[in-house]
Amino acid sequence: MAFWRYAGRRGLHTAVTLLLLVGFMFVLFRMIPGDPTTMMLGTGELPAEAQQRLRVLWGLDRPLWQQFIAYALNLLQGNLGMSFYFRRPVSEVIAPMLANTVLLMAPVVILAIVIGVAGGSWLGWRRGGRAEEIGAVLALIPRALPVFWTGIVLLALFAYQFRWFPIGGIREAFFFPENWWQRLPFFDITRHLVLPVATGVLASVADPLMIQRTALLEVRHEDFMVLARARGLSGRAQRRLARRNAILPVLTYSAIMVGFAFGGQVLLEVVFNWPGIGRLMVDSVTQRDYPVAQAAFLMMAAVVVFLNLLVDLAYGWLDPRIRGG
Amino acid sequence: MRRRAVLQFLAALGVTVPAGMVDAVLGAAAAQPAPGSPVPRLGVFTPTWPDMVELWRQLSRDWAPLGIELDIQQGTLDTFVAQVVAEQKLPHMGSMSWGGAPDRLDPDYFISEMFHSRRDIKGGLNFGHYHSAEFDRLADAQRAETDVPKRQQLVREVQRPIVEDSPALILFHRDIIHAYNKARFSGVTPIFGNGIGFPYMPMAYMGLTPLTPRKFIKITTIYDIASLNPFLTPEIYNSTTLRLMYATFVTRDAKADLMPWALESWSIVDPKTVDIVLRPGSKFHDGKPATVDDVKFTFDFINKWKFPALSRVSDAVESAEITGDHTVRLKLRTVYAPFVANVLGYAFLAPKHIWENLPSGLATPADWPNDHPVGSGPWRYGEWKKGEFIQFAANPDFFIKPKLEGMVVMPVPQMESMVGMLERGDSDMLAWNLDMTLGARISKSADLEVVRTPTHGQHEVRLNLAMPPCDNKAFRIALQHATDRKKLLDIIFSGAGTVSQGAPITPALTQWANPDIQAPAPSIDQARAALKDGGFSWNGEGRLLMPAA
Repeated sequence: MAFWRYAGRRGLHTAVTLLLLVGFMFVLFRMIPGDPTTMMLGTGELPAEAQQRLRVLWGLDRPLWQQFIAYALNLLQGNLGMSFYFRRPVSEVIAPMLANTVLLMAPVVILAIVIGVAGGSWLGWRRGGRAEEIGAVLALIPRALPVFWTGIVLLALFAYQFRWFPIGGIREAFFFPENWWQRLPFFDITRHLVLPVATGVLASVADPLMIQRTALLEVRHEDFMVLARARGLSGRAQRRLARRNAILPVLTYSAIMVGFAFGGQVLLEVVFNWPGIGRLMVDSVTQRDYPVAQAAFLMMAAVVVFLNLLVDLAYGWLDPRIRGG
Repeated sequence: MRRRAVLQFLAALGVTVPAGMVDAVLGAAAAQPAPGSPVPRLGVFTPTWPDMVELWRQLSRDWAPLGIELDIQQGTLDTFVAQVVAEQKLPHMGSMSWGGAPDRLDPDYFISEMFHSRRDIKGGLNFGHYHSAEFDRLADAQRAETDVPKRQQLVREVQRPIVEDSPALILFHRDIIHAYNKARFSGVTPIFGNGIGFPYMPMAYMGLTPLTPRKFIKITTIYDIASLNPFLTPEIYNSTTLRLMYATFVTRDAKADLMPWALESWSIVDPKTVDIVLRPGSKFHDGKPATVDDVKFTFDFINKWKFPALSRVSDAVESAEITGDHTVRLKLRTVYAPFVANVLGYAFLAPKHIWENLPSGLATPADWPNDHPVGSGPWRYGEWKKGEFIQFAANPDFFIKPKLEGMVVMPVPQMESMVGMLERGDSDMLAWNLDMTLGARISKSADLEVVRTPTHGQHEVRLNLAMPPCDNKAFRIALQHATDRKKLLDIIFSGAGTVSQGAPITPALTQWANPDIQAPAPSIDQARAALKDGGFSWNGEGRLLMPAA
């Protein structure tokens, strides 16, 4: 019972947060100087009368509060509106770009967490040794480097120098396979994925890795680990036990990673010419395409908010002390 | 003062401020400096592009001997459009480069749009607030003069007040530099203002001939299109790309002169009446014949819906009447000398059987996705994958048959990636503005060739004539003398371009340029002399002082 009251309260908080977000996004983009009708051209040479016709057509001539109510009502019905720039429903504009981003970021997040947990456990178990010192530094170096720099270096080596991988893009326009392995399904997309995924993993693996290492160090001295040693568990069994008990903080962190992955990685997308949601977000702000910008940012924010809710609920379920607080 | 500091802090964060506060800051800058007091630091707004950064690095050095200090603010192009064009909030000066769009080839654009007092409005390009009755009179006269030699004379005359009054420092016309793989394709056609690869002038692609078994060419460029609906977008790259499928009525030939395209011919009956003759035997891509009914429908449709993207067509054409098997008579609303170039060269033939049968429920036909464009141009629609490519297939029914089987145009947002793709053979043509450094690198590959083409596009510094000291003609002339155009072109673009005469028309466009005018000679001594003549003086530290009362 206490859990459900807790869940209800957290659910309400989430709803209020989302409502505030909707309002904030709506106002935020309209505060940027410039107007979608002048941005369509890049140089603002559309005659004033033609601009006015567009404003009426797009509902921008109405007072802001009326625009907001229309927007909020549409949003409640799941209608994100029409893009000014593409003149298509926003969902149609966002969906293919989101799919491309998921295709890129899903392997990045999964690999980063798997490698991070494995590497972090390995390092944590070797606390104080030379291997830990070197390993931690090696993991932190790519994290400290800008993503675009890592990407450009990988491109320079593996695309320009050795020519093992393509320079960018999601697939080759009109790809003609030359041998049997090139005929395998997904061959073309996979070889386009290798470098951007490698770059993304290099940049993001350090966080789960360091979190796992720290958690493991704490777990190592818990009573149950002492007991495991006393019971004569093998070294491998002990490591496995410690790893599993240390994994919770990484899972919490992975919720945040997933949320941001939905926003795409603008720099990664630009360096590798990946047509994803990150570039769409930047372009929509530049073009003052309010409906697309609002929807994309709202989606990213909503994913983070919902995953936080899920994590909170999971904690409340697991630890009764939290429900009371 | 504190408020200003806060504003600067916010601006540094990229946060924008309510318009009223901006006005307060600009008001402070616009305040008349007292006679004899030091000239204030001059506010400069410039886009963040590398060529512009280099330009201001040079200018602040070159102008320093005059005792002038600059306060340079950089912003993205959208900030420039929003602040300087849409809101008309230019600080003391700002720099911009104007691309060589085909409708700017007619001299009217760079004359009337940028300097006519009528365009000193929000959203207009006369954001330096130049007002001259003499200039306006000549600009209006050339716009209304349909006799070509007479118009030539007027266009030449109208450039003189610009050089004399100096409302802008028009610097140079940077060449278009494209590159292609000559081992795979031959027959490139470099066209003035278009290069070999821009879609502005479709004749550029008509000579392309494959030399290997692959009969379609892969072209890289920066932009992607936003829509397949030709009635929607006014943006130059998108609209010209769609016009590869939707033939315009006229186009530009290899010498950039006007030539009939969907038309067989046109004739000016009187200044407000134009007869156009459709090319007999024309067909749309779906096999249906293109007739005068489609021509009339196109103009009626544009006039009915008043599409913002085609406002120049509805603003010019009053009515279209069928007068023969292939002839349509257009009645114009006003006399407009660039009519053939800028209206018939921009309007395209739309198939009546498709556009009059759109599904109901659209606010405007411009909102229709038009997922399978059907035009009558040299290229048929293949496929568009947003952010990846747009593919065209050759139209064998067009009166000039393409030598290729197709084209694939790929948007690549980074120049380095474009160069890499060309070098690796992933693309066959690089159709975006290269610089000479990258051009030299590309030239090292035996299979690749770099092609330089002059253009009418230009780099300029616009001065705000409503703000002292830029309201002072002697000051503006001094800046002209202190600006070495050739040196700037050499430094920024390795000399690849044409130095401006100080007028908005490039000397390379001999038909319209005025050979008798010349920008003030670069000389710091003459600059100082001009300032002295204008009453300016210097204090002990060499700082420039406003003229005494």
